[in-house]
Amino acid sequence: MSTSTMADSNVSTSYLVRFTGKQRAEHLVTMVVFTMLCLTGLPQKFYGAAWAHRMVNLFGGIDAARWIHRFCGWTLALSTVVHFASALVTIAGRKTRLTMIPTKHDFDDAVATLKYYLGLRDHGPKYDRYDYKQKFEYWGLVMGNVIMVLTGIILIYPTVLARFLPGELVPAAKVAHSNEGLMAFLVITIWHIYNAHLNPDVFPFDTCIFTGKISRERMEHEHPLELERLEAEASRAGKAVAPHAEREVVG
Amino acid sequence: MMWVGAGPAWAGIPAEQDDCLGCHGGDATMSMDLPSGEKLGVYVDAAVFGKSVHGEILRCTDCHTEKTGYPHESKPFASKRDVQVAYYEQCKSCHFANYTKTLDGVHYAVMAKGNRKAALCVDCHGSHDIQRASEPRTRISQTCAKCHDGVFKVYASSVHGRDAEAGNQDVPVCTDCHKAHDILDPKNGALSMRTPEICGRCHTSEKMMSKYKLSTKVVDTYLKDFHGMSATLQRGTKADRKSFAAVCTDCHGVHDIQKSSDPTSHTMRANLVQTCQKCHPGATKNFPDAWLSHYEPTPQKATLVWSVQLFYKLIIPFMVGGLVLQIALHLWRVVVNR
Repeated sequence: MSTSTMADSNVSTSYLVRFTGKQRAEHLVTMVVFTMLCLTGLPQKFYGAAWAHRMVNLFGGIDAARWIHRFCGWTLALSTVVHFASALVTIAGRKTRLTMIPTKHDFDDAVATLKYYLGLRDHGPKYDRYDYKQKFEYWGLVMGNVIMVLTGIILIYPTVLARFLPGELVPAAKVAHSNEGLMAFLVITIWHIYNAHLNPDVFPFDTCIFTGKISRERMEHEHPLELERLEAEASRAGKAVAPHAEREVVG
Repeated sequence: MMWVGAGPAWAGIPAEQDDCLGCHGGDATMSMDLPSGEKLGVYVDAAVFGKSVHGEILRCTDCHTEKTGYPHESKPFASKRDVQVAYYEQCKSCHFANYTKTLDGVHYAVMAKGNRKAALCVDCHGSHDIQRASEPRTRISQTCAKCHDGVFKVYASSVHGRDAEAGNQDVPVCTDCHKAHDILDPKNGALSMRTPEICGRCHTSEKMMSKYKLSTKVVDTYLKDFHGMSATLQRGTKADRKSFAAVCTDCHGVHDIQKSSDPTSHTMRANLVQTCQKCHPGATKNFPDAWLSHYEPTPQKATLVWSVQLFYKLIIPFMVGGLVLQIALHLWRVVVNR
């Protein structure tokens, strides 16, 4: 091994903290709950299939599967509320940069990325903390959660809803819940699994959301604008971001 | 049964029966005193037997197997019912398939528990006077009515029963839903769970339903709804009846089914809230609209449901296709860059 690669590997083993403990915990909860919701929910959508019956039996029957589904649904609802409540508190306290808000810049990035993929540009755009794909997935999940939670509650309490609103909302909620759920399942299995696992840049496994750490090398590659900003802030404060500094990045 | 129709047209009763009828065919009051105090008639009307389905085929000793000579011994039966219970076993030597089915039936189960009134072969079919059970078809329900009179009366005034009694061959009689020999216990829910299939036999038949201008989509639309989906999944597991989702009979009634336009129908608009309340105690005026009344959502019927359906029919392929395309482009770029 040459000295230069030794040096390179030294650089690549220096990490930055990308996700806080709370963010990592939120991802873990969402991951577990989402998986359980899919496992107990999809068999209800595809109730005629043999695999659906086997799956339901695995959970001890449809009543047990529904109980798990509802428990996980409420957990997801609660975690969504907690997520937004704490975001509002942080925003109100001006402790964060609104890094997740989609901007015109993201739209330009998406166009530039497509041009790059198609060979109309020599390189892709430089991203800040979250690229447009991550924002898309985040907001997709958030909007999906809102739809799933609202329609899910209607499906748990159809008689309560019909006391105030037209009964037709119940079958409409069922159609929405079932299709939105399928779409979420497809987006996650196709898009998220690709981006977090199968994408050649991170293959086989992007551990960042579990450990909270990201290598400086990946930051340079995937979030150069954020890295620049962090390093500028750090040098103003008189310390280096990398290789040894591991600091919390809020937002 | 098969060889009844296909067999040669023998004239009269086999000759050996003369031997038995020499004693049992003469005096119509011939009887035995049983320990129970009952008199067991042992006279056989040769003409009645001759006209029965067995008349030209069976000999007395085919069923009365132990009576091989003369004089013959009498079995020590305590009561008339004992005689019938004992002869239950005789039918199986020819009708083995149907006999075996009765062992899965509710009548046999009740008998096994000690209720000796439960129906045996001869209770429905008769003994020396056995005729085809289903000729005419209305005879079937009347046979059941001998014991189940209360239910029969309710049935006879339902949409099915009225037509059956009027000679309509399309409508169900008791055995069409309950089966004849392996009759399911209607109380444990197993029969209810089969109603989509049982009712569907006629109600999905285009040929039959077009006669009455009824929809054949009733089972499909039911299955697609929450109730049908739940019931389908519950069928696969051993759940108790109280947790079953609504099946056909829970809304339409069982023996008292009426046209949905009939004022006494459970599914008549004005009675619907009450019907929903059987399972949904909190149901109010708007609640029945949560059920699309067996209609497929269209722009006219259930506009909102139809729109939501359409929205997802478009957005899911668009979304998934877009993402897959982007992944493909990215991979292509990775390959090109190498």
